[in-house]
Amino acid sequence: MRAYGEPIIEITHLQKSFGDNAVLTDFNLTVRQGENVVVLGKSGCGKSVLIKCIVGLIKYDAGSIKLFGKEVSSLKQHELDTMRARIGFVFQSSALYDSMTVRENLEFPLRRHGKKKSKEEVQQLIEETLEHVGLAHAIHLMPAELSGGMRKRIGLARSLVLKPELMLYDEPTTGLDPITAEEISKLMLAMQQMYNTSSIIISHDMHCAELTANRLVVMMDGIDYAQGTFEELQQLNDPKVHAFFLNHK
Amino acid sequence: MESTKQPGPPVPKKADPAWLSIIPDDLRDFLNEAGDITRFAMRFFREVFVPPYEMREVIHQCYEVGYRSLTLVGLTAFIIGLVLTLQSRPTLAKFGAESWLPAMVGISIIREIGPVIVALICAGKIGSSIGAELGSMKVTEQIDAMEVSGTNPFKYIVVSRMIATTLMIPVLTIMGDTIALCGSFIAVRIKSSVSFTLFFNQVFESTEFSDFLPAFIKSFFFGFAIGLIGCYKGYNSKKGTEGVGESANSAVVVASLLVFVLDLIAVQITEFFGYI
Repeated sequence: MRAYGEPIIEITHLQKSFGDNAVLTDFNLTVRQGENVVVLGKSGCGKSVLIKCIVGLIKYDAGSIKLFGKEVSSLKQHELDTMRARIGFVFQSSALYDSMTVRENLEFPLRRHGKKKSKEEVQQLIEETLEHVGLAHAIHLMPAELSGGMRKRIGLARSLVLKPELMLYDEPTTGLDPITAEEISKLMLAMQQMYNTSSIIISHDMHCAELTANRLVVMMDGIDYAQGTFEELQQLNDPKVHAFFLNHK
Repeated sequence: MESTKQPGPPVPKKADPAWLSIIPDDLRDFLNEAGDITRFAMRFFREVFVPPYEMREVIHQCYEVGYRSLTLVGLTAFIIGLVLTLQSRPTLAKFGAESWLPAMVGISIIREIGPVIVALICAGKIGSSIGAELGSMKVTEQIDAMEVSGTNPFKYIVVSRMIATTLMIPVLTIMGDTIALCGSFIAVRIKSSVSFTLFFNQVFESTEFSDFLPAFIKSFFFGFAIGLIGCYKGYNSKKGTEGVGESANSAVVVASLLVFVLDLIAVQITEFFGYI
């Protein structure tokens, strides 16, 4: 197995409940530099809650999340914002700002994260990133004019524009046809190599998992039920884990 | 590879205190919502004075709220002024007090009808628009995306809109009052040959600054209430398209109701200070 760098995320005994509904009960995960980890799980099992806890969008009840060596829950707002500038987050719905053009969508994080850049530098960075995701021609379009696949690509470009060290993908291929889903999976892999990032990919698309994962984690009943490579989990004699691979050739 | 893990014992549930069950559910929901809206308003006051100030967004929202409501407010105010004058004339004529028409209409519009009508129109137009826009942003995770991009979404989205409505509703009210008086002049002119100067002289001779000031001040509160409710409903929208629709709808209903409640409070305060 390939050796990876220092741990950039260390999650231990993570717990999160919404009222009576305990979503995460004892979740543990470590992601190392250069590693792509896919978190598999049934819909509604708490996968999205997990990555929202990592970026501080949701406060966890107990346990620990160490991001780049710092405990997320103890960070002050400006420290959290600085930390977030090192993370790219691709939302399930792409979350493009409806009232802004594609260029303004990419400009927004550049402007807001306070890194002083000239207009020319910003323009060059936006054009370069759009070129990487194959949508340089869409720079002046509004999100409403984009197809589902294009929205995903622009969402990915917006996350990459700050050149993050860690990428978090929330169901990146959900709602796409199989061909576009494969294109997006391959693009994610290409971007990971180009930008030298680590990733956590939340998905239940086994084809995406097979293409992108160095390691898979099965989330079940709020815990990290099983971990291993795609092949290891596929061969595991456990009906709960095996269920994920049933429809996958 | 690591072996599979088994889930731990279930987390114990936190029960509500027994005395809470005495309060009817509807009343409890109402009190909860009133508390949440108050907390939301307190958060606005905490954030509005702390930098960074989103001036660009505030100006943009002033344009959206103010400029884009001009036609609707102007047209409605014109019709209200015209109709009010036409409807009042026969009654005043019975008492031989037709010459009091400009004064009566002027006081009615400046003191009460202008601010309340403009606030109700804006509660419908702006309240629903803010509720739906923020609800849609919430449902499509745009608010989360903004936060991940190092932006305080409350400040960028909520504070800017609430400042815009608080500042723009008084401006729209002054404009609405003026247009309503012009409408009234046209209605007067239909039946008699009163000049424009004479009509407005009669209006301003019978009104004092103390008629204008309380109405102007209360329109700031109306604007604040419209922004507050629109933003609160949108920002706390439930998931799904149904949630967005519900946010827009309840923003209009609650904001309109709040306008009347504030008007009632304003009239009591005005009376207390001897302006009536």
